[in-house]
Amino acid sequence: MATEAIDFWTDTVRATAQRLNEAEDGLRERREGALQRFQANGFPGRKDEEWRYTPLKKLANGPCHQLLPGSTRIPVQADLPIEAVARVVLVNGEFQEQLSDFSSLPAGIKVASLASLRKQDSGAIVDFLSSSFPQQNHPFESLSDAMLDDGIWIDVTPECRDEVATIHILHAFDGSRGAGSAHVTGTIRCAPGTRLRVIEEVRSEGEVLGNIRWGVALGEDATIDRVRVIRPGCDTIFHGTRVVQQAGSRFHDLMVCSGSNLVRNEILTIHSGPRCHVELLGIYTARGIEVVDNHTTIEHAAEDCTSREIYRGVLSQKGRGIFTGMIHVHPDAQRIDAKQSNDTILLSRDAEMNSRPRLEIYADDVKCTHGATVGELDEEALFYLRSRGIQLDEARRMLVRAFASEVISGLDPEELREFIVAELEQSIPEGGECAP
Amino acid sequence: MNHKKEQLLLDVQDLHVSVDGTEILRGLNLQVKAGEIHAIMGPNGSGKSTLANVLAGREEYQVDRGTVRYNGLDLLELSADERACEGIFMAFQYPVSIPGISTAYFLRSALNSIRRYRDESEVDPIDFLEMIRSKIELVGIDEKLLQRAVNDGFSGGEKKRNEILQMAVLDPKLAILDETDSGLDIDALRIVAEGVNSLHADDRAIIVVTHYQRLLDHIVPDHVHVLSEGKIVRSGDKTLAQELERVGYTGLGVDDARART
Repeated sequence: MATEAIDFWTDTVRATAQRLNEAEDGLRERREGALQRFQANGFPGRKDEEWRYTPLKKLANGPCHQLLPGSTRIPVQADLPIEAVARVVLVNGEFQEQLSDFSSLPAGIKVASLASLRKQDSGAIVDFLSSSFPQQNHPFESLSDAMLDDGIWIDVTPECRDEVATIHILHAFDGSRGAGSAHVTGTIRCAPGTRLRVIEEVRSEGEVLGNIRWGVALGEDATIDRVRVIRPGCDTIFHGTRVVQQAGSRFHDLMVCSGSNLVRNEILTIHSGPRCHVELLGIYTARGIEVVDNHTTIEHAAEDCTSREIYRGVLSQKGRGIFTGMIHVHPDAQRIDAKQSNDTILLSRDAEMNSRPRLEIYADDVKCTHGATVGELDEEALFYLRSRGIQLDEARRMLVRAFASEVISGLDPEELREFIVAELEQSIPEGGECAP
Repeated sequence: MNHKKEQLLLDVQDLHVSVDGTEILRGLNLQVKAGEIHAIMGPNGSGKSTLANVLAGREEYQVDRGTVRYNGLDLLELSADERACEGIFMAFQYPVSIPGISTAYFLRSALNSIRRYRDESEVDPIDFLEMIRSKIELVGIDEKLLQRAVNDGFSGGEKKRNEILQMAVLDPKLAILDETDSGLDIDALRIVAEGVNSLHADDRAIIVVTHYQRLLDHIVPDHVHVLSEGKIVRSGDKTLAQELERVGYTGLGVDDARART
């Protein structure tokens, strides 16, 4: 799909890469390779299996190729009910020192902006980036690589083995003064035996592409609990995570998304040592012509590993959901226990779900289950609630809440859980159908 | 005649009901006064459950003809939730399980919906727990059950007791028990019946829909009606149920509709 529209993008990418390369930060090769890949391939179309149902045409032809200015100051109010030891704010991909707060951060955790580190110690950054982000043909990865500039670096050192710190990361993409895109690269490295909790929040205003990617390295027996909330009103968000897990490590992720135009959530996790566990949970809504696309790959490359995956969506009006879930069990990765499910409630005849479980199993002593359900709200349950005096709208809300609660029942604190459920509920129109 | 009608809580006249084009009720008449217990008996396929569900407001049932007056209202004009708010309660033959909603939350939501409808103040979780404790004893269920999801993984007996618990909490004017005895062993049956009896009151009517007489050993009806092919073919006092037990439906000249077809 190397169409004319792509030229706008390529021009921006080339100019940006050239500007950044002047810094001689050791990333020239990476940027130029990515520029070439993007120039050759652009954004994928419907013929690309990995992107078959993801509508990127509007983005490719639209005005978001411009870079969003990093200097804008949109009001950033903290309304998520959470307590964190540190707050990291990125506006249009640029780290905001004044809005961030590291004052309570334990000494064992290092948090820094990628831009500042590139100036100080580019060698270490280059090494870590090479191991975290293989250079591959992927439209959003290529954009991130070609314009690699700022982002966030989190290092959990062996010093804080006995603490569980919570870090709040807020991405704000402000297109209110003109459409554009911003590209953020984040990295997390957890030393053996450490634990980290990350609550990541994404907001946008106006026509934007928010392009976020994370590279995560989990040492032996380390744990990350991550909650991501794509707040209502976002435009186009790409969020990609690549995790490499060492023996006995655990990666828990919950993705919440409601009321946003197009969200692509990609997770790849590699179990490179035995006894790893990964838990990927997602709850989302789509109404109007919103699209939520969850694309997960679990590489069970070592033995005795487990995975649990549940994505649930509530689709109304012409909302669309896409789920692609690959579970790859490598030869000799014996005694794997993998469970995957993808459940969808369609509140309208025009809503659509494309669910694609993919299992490739090359070991023989393996437990792998997967299931996909697509249906309407349970009429029997609705009647049962109504026969007890509960009005139709409230009965529907209760059933949607019940559907979501099975995904987020483990989320603490309760205030955050309630906040999230309320936001999900608000993004479901009454009646569910399109306006006549 | 007219003043007598005014005392009626429920007045069903010439009710014709069909499901998917098949006529199930074919001209049913039934009058129920506050304080009375009525038993509706009949073989499989006679229309017992249809009657219960039509009164509760299930939408798949098509009312083709007839009227239903309830407490001065045209019942057929009301939605299922409005009926519940007006004091109608049906204990389900097959209570629905709803994973993800706790029994306590469900019950409190139902109670508060009804209270809002009646312009009464809502009950907060603490007062609610206080209030429900006494009702729990009535039906002999474990308080822990309140924290479990509605009917999810409940045994047959627990489900039926949960129905009676809901009845006790929602305090209806007209309670309809749809085959509440089915699937219960004799001990559970006794507990359920005791729960129902304790809710027997002068301002409340109870309609017991059942295939067998055994529930009526515990809940003694004022009136017994035998339903066949969508009509009430015999009415009498509690001795009619005993006669039925002795001679069976065929002895009364009533066929099992499903056995016939």
